[in-house]
Amino acid sequence: MPGPDKETDLTERIEAFLSDLKRGGSGTGPLRGSAETARETTALLRRITAQARWSSAGDLMEIIRKEGRRITAAQPSETTVGNMIRRVLKIVREEYARSRGSSEETDQQESLHKLLTSGGLSEENFRQHFATLKANVIEAINELLTELEGTTDNIAMQALEHIHSNEVIMTIGRSRTVEAFLKDAARKRKFHVIVAECAPFCQGHEMATSLSKAGIETTVIADAAIFAVMSRVNKVIIGTQTVLANGGLRAVNGTHTLALAAKHHSTPLIVCAPMFKLSPQVGRLSSLNSQFTICISGEILSKVNVHCPVFDYVPPELITLFISNIGGHAPSYIYRLMSELYHPEDHEL
Amino acid sequence: LETVVYFRAQMRKDPDMASAVAAIRTLLEFLKRDKGETILGLRESLTGATDCLTGVDSSVAVSSGGELFLRFISLTSLEHQDLSRCKKVMEERGELFLEKISMSRAKVAKLCHTFIKDGAKILTHSYSRVVLRVLEKAAAEKKRFSVYVTESQPDSAGRQMADALRKLNVPVTVVLDAAVGYVLEKVDLVIVGAEGVVESGGIINKIGTYQMAVCSKAHNKPFYVVAESFKFVRLYPLNQQDVPDKFKYKADTLKTVKNLSEEHPMIDYTPPSLITLLFTDLGVLTPSAVSDELIKLYL
Repeated sequence: MPGPDKETDLTERIEAFLSDLKRGGSGTGPLRGSAETARETTALLRRITAQARWSSAGDLMEIIRKEGRRITAAQPSETTVGNMIRRVLKIVREEYARSRGSSEETDQQESLHKLLTSGGLSEENFRQHFATLKANVIEAINELLTELEGTTDNIAMQALEHIHSNEVIMTIGRSRTVEAFLKDAARKRKFHVIVAECAPFCQGHEMATSLSKAGIETTVIADAAIFAVMSRVNKVIIGTQTVLANGGLRAVNGTHTLALAAKHHSTPLIVCAPMFKLSPQVGRLSSLNSQFTICISGEILSKVNVHCPVFDYVPPELITLFISNIGGHAPSYIYRLMSELYHPEDHEL
Repeated sequence: LETVVYFRAQMRKDPDMASAVAAIRTLLEFLKRDKGETILGLRESLTGATDCLTGVDSSVAVSSGGELFLRFISLTSLEHQDLSRCKKVMEERGELFLEKISMSRAKVAKLCHTFIKDGAKILTHSYSRVVLRVLEKAAAEKKRFSVYVTESQPDSAGRQMADALRKLNVPVTVVLDAAVGYVLEKVDLVIVGAEGVVESGGIINKIGTYQMAVCSKAHNKPFYVVAESFKFVRLYPLNQQDVPDKFKYKADTLKTVKNLSEEHPMIDYTPPSLITLLFTDLGVLTPSAVSDELIKLYL
């Protein structure tokens, strides 16, 4: 029986995770990559499943949803957390359906077909208790964790199909996925990379240093030079923070500029994004998310309003291809992948 | 024909009800009263009844409602061999279906109103009950927005929309159909309803919608469509000429006029490349997702 010590241990871990997330956002703590956040969230959810007290799938989902709401409220811009929570909720639903022995798992979504043929307003309330449910859910979460660990490698493996010899590739800022992608291609091909520095944090510099250590010819350019240099570029390969449900992106600021310049020159724009970045949100970001501020000194400080948005919205029409750990997809196909990853009732936590 | 009488009575009883819903209700009533002995006979008489209804109201919605009902009959009849039991199941499911689709407008409104931000200026076309519902919901959420409605000739349906919006205390301006391009620079988003949603993800709607879509694309404004899922229809028009004549003109016009080329069509087709998102009771869909939904139903 999980005693009170385990409960407090669990709440302590959740609190530690929350404060880590908050610190990561304010820029004072170590900047974590999304993959680590995804892995830690999933591990935390596995712990919650193992240690919290629940008797039926419905209870477990309530607990996960409650904790999920708290965690997403702590750092709203970190969407991977919400995505992982929704994945786990889908896992719980699937395991429940499997335990019940019903073949309903294939037709979970609303569809015209379901409207016509279903026999009743099915209120699935997940109240039945199954002894093996806990073990099954934990096993499925372990599978999810293994998948998460392999994502960057799976994406990097596809590099050779997309990058050819003597090509000029452009990228912006620092993305660990793109780094791995380019390094993998560099083992067999010789090509040039142009990195836009992505002010004001200039993460492009670190990217350039890391790539040149791997023996790739790299050039760093200022963000303002993106359009000017684009005519010489063969492909643009970028990472992103989130992939939205309509196939658009929420990526680091400057990406929209890059995408528009690529469209103008008819240069293909390839986005390397693992599946855990897919989020059910839709639409444009009209709100500015200025969480970081720049230091301005002197008298000018009182006379000036500084807005420094962290993310850009890139509409799906500007994107050519998404490369994820399960292969390449067109932006118009993202809705399909989303319906396979998440259940529509979980879109709103 | 008493079918027609029943249909007209349904439309009169609840003017807010979609014509497709009235059609389905009529067909269900027809099913209940049918004295046929075989399923094939039933299907034939239902097809006859649907033709009757399209003779009265030739809109796409009635046609899609009728087709959906026929599909419903086929799917149900595959499961039960015995006619009387089959009919009972059909009646039950029919009632359930009607219940579900009566909630569809509320679902659409719930999905769409979040896209209307405070201070937004919205452009809409002609009179659409679904768009009205969405704007009602947004107004109920205490959002401040203003609306431009096109007059929408030849029946001036836009004025009806403007009156309905004024009752909700929403600031509304009626503009000429020709003024769409003029007004678009002031507008933040465009929301229209649809009479039918076709397989490609495009829509069939009151004449003037295509124009509005092309202008919004030119101005880079989002073009949203709100439609219930029973409006999905198995058509794949490639251009304006491809839309069947029976939808383009009113039923009376089709019967009385000899030379259709002198008549003005009442609807046009908007291709999916001009539509940003579709809000349906099945969720927020990109135009490419529509054909998926249709395939799931018909195959």
